[in-house]
Amino acid sequence: MGKNPFAKPASQPPFLHQMLGLTRYHRVERLAFLALIAPNFILFGVFTFWPLLYNLYLSFTKWNMIVPNPTWIGLDNYAAMIQDPIFWRVLWNTIYLATGSITIRLVMALALALVLNQKLAGRDVYRAIIFSPTFTTGAAIALVWAWIFHKDLGLLRLPLSWLGLPSPNWLADVNWTIPALIIVTIWRGLGYDMVIFLAGLQGIPAELYEAARVDGAGRWALFRHITLPLLSPITFFLIVTSIIGALQVFDIVAVMTQGGPMNSSKVYVYYVYENAFKFFKVGYAAALSMVLFLITLAITIFQTRLSRRWVHY
Amino acid sequence: MNKLIGTMLVLFVLFGALAGCAAPEPTKAPPPAPTRAPATSVPPAATKPPATAAPAPTTAPTAAPVQAPVKIVYWRALSGAPGNAQEELAKRFNAAQKEVQVEVQFQGTYPELRRKLQAALAARTTPDLVMLDSPQMPYFAKNGALAPLDDFAKGADGVDLKNFIPGLLGDSYYDGKLYAMPFARSTPILYYNRDMFKAAGLPDRAPETWEEFYDFCKKLTKKDATPARVGYAVQMGATTAHWYFQELLYAYGSDVSDDKFKVLLDQPEAIAAAKFLQDMVKEGVVVPGTGPDGAQGEFTNQRAGMHFGSTGSLVNIISTSKFQVGVGFMPAAKRRQVPIGGSVIAVLSASPKEKQAAAWKFLKFMTSTESNVYFVQKTGYMPISTSAVNSAEMKEFMTKNPAFKVAVDQLQFVRPQASIIAVPESTEIFRQLVEKLTVGLVDPATAMKEATAALTKAYNESFK
Repeated sequence: MGKNPFAKPASQPPFLHQMLGLTRYHRVERLAFLALIAPNFILFGVFTFWPLLYNLYLSFTKWNMIVPNPTWIGLDNYAAMIQDPIFWRVLWNTIYLATGSITIRLVMALALALVLNQKLAGRDVYRAIIFSPTFTTGAAIALVWAWIFHKDLGLLRLPLSWLGLPSPNWLADVNWTIPALIIVTIWRGLGYDMVIFLAGLQGIPAELYEAARVDGAGRWALFRHITLPLLSPITFFLIVTSIIGALQVFDIVAVMTQGGPMNSSKVYVYYVYENAFKFFKVGYAAALSMVLFLITLAITIFQTRLSRRWVHY
Repeated sequence: MNKLIGTMLVLFVLFGALAGCAAPEPTKAPPPAPTRAPATSVPPAATKPPATAAPAPTTAPTAAPVQAPVKIVYWRALSGAPGNAQEELAKRFNAAQKEVQVEVQFQGTYPELRRKLQAALAARTTPDLVMLDSPQMPYFAKNGALAPLDDFAKGADGVDLKNFIPGLLGDSYYDGKLYAMPFARSTPILYYNRDMFKAAGLPDRAPETWEEFYDFCKKLTKKDATPARVGYAVQMGATTAHWYFQELLYAYGSDVSDDKFKVLLDQPEAIAAAKFLQDMVKEGVVVPGTGPDGAQGEFTNQRAGMHFGSTGSLVNIISTSKFQVGVGFMPAAKRRQVPIGGSVIAVLSASPKEKQAAAWKFLKFMTSTESNVYFVQKTGYMPISTSAVNSAEMKEFMTKNPAFKVAVDQLQFVRPQASIIAVPESTEIFRQLVEKLTVGLVDPATAMKEATAALTKAYNESFK
């Protein structure tokens, strides 16, 4: 990386003071810098930072958005959350869905990427087919899968019957709704993960493999000591983005189950939506959002810390 | 890698185009309330900013000799036939006089419209009139969002409220004040598969009572057939479960809740009704309607011999069924009472006085006998006034559409929905109650007690 021409040594005096004492050339340079970051910064400010702060304020209030002003109630929303059995159920559902979906999906995506990185006939076609769910809308995916999961008429009952297994009543059985959602989220995200892994695989220099082979490394050793470590930044990226994505699942739940039956498939963001726009509990929804924000932040910080041990750049 | 990207791009464009083709909703009109249209239907007007209702201080001096027309904005729900009929009525209204000009803005399904209204109230840019799913009206009225209409109704430009069918006008009131006028009203009716009835040796009519309904279900059920057949699939989901479940509770003599919002679901008659439903499920002659198209899909796919649906779904159900459809009254038990559904039109309190008066003129026009007869004939919704029922056109229409006559005949049994339904969280609680009874097979007394507690808590927190 080249030296940043705008970078100043850390020992410089504070910014405003500096502005006043600067030469004309430097002042123009500074203004150019501010002008260049302004569009992005202002948009972020208006659409991300301000709503976040406003959401924090709302989480201390009771409001339905119908009466003109929110009522300040302090920490009541957070206290209510601790006693809300549905909140805990929803949190568990979300973690269950995220863990199940991410672990299986990443393993499958890596396996597929390894296979489709070989010289196979028609491999571009396979790649494209596997990638296609990525650009299909969630609502359409949910509608089609709702039919596939139908106990008596669905497609999925066929492969199960070949194995001599009965078809679970996927979307109507409290024990099967989350596994059903895991299947859909895997199917939906697999292609994207695979493509990212493929890009990572193709970025590994062929010389490394050659050199290792010369040294007598077998296939497993190549995979274990070259592929996995050199893919680790990619794996790390996918884990972090997948977790954030899994905590925000909404559309397929909204269309397929609306959180039912008996809250068995109610996920976090759907519960937030329900509170804000169906129950008119805007303050409570804001508090739920703040907790989700903190959970996401904590997980990401933890991941970053942990990554220093296993990610090799 | 380049080849890969190339393939991806080609597919991207291809699938994008396909997705684009698939985006608009199928042409079949969504069934009128309270069955909500699928959450995927994105209204074309979704991005349209709400017209500002703020008064322009410089215009419309009240005593000016040549007055510019008062412009008002009406937010409507419902697409397809009921949507077009509203547009046509507004056009007629605008053409008939010059003092008031109304602009109709489509805002999607009932829940979508309600969300936009919520946002509009927060942003303080509300329309002058809104269409509301009737149980939602009291919450908005209670929070001061709606203007009381009693003075308009009784004033010089008023209407004869006695002309409206009492069961349909009843839920336009909150706290003794009139806050809305009935418009697109519907009731649940029983649909049955005449072919399946014949094959099961049943008479060609709907069951009279819930006991007979149970008996019919037993005779219709064929567990060994592929796919299996049952008597009836229970409506699930937050928008529909409560409506049909209320009818069962009313039939068994429960009022669900009283006018002081005291929840009565833990009373013996309510528990008996819940147990009755669960017994049918346990026996396997009734199943939870959890398929992708819900209970209606089970009926039109000939997996369930009977179905409860909105009167407004009549055309839809008959046109999507590959068999002879019969209709009848909802079953009775100790009594026959049917909860009214559908929507009302209300005026926003944020609108300035002269706009409210203009809005009333439009509301009066929309609920007039002629407008109502037109709307009913175009859509299959219920007539709302005695004069509309008795009009020559309506009588002719019913002769031509005997199925529709059943719905009109059932009007004598309609009643407003239970008071507790006005609490926003209630429909979700009812939905979970129906799930507990039919999916979880939770003991009826326990489930009903839990629901009573949950509804009471929700009422205390958000409505009291």
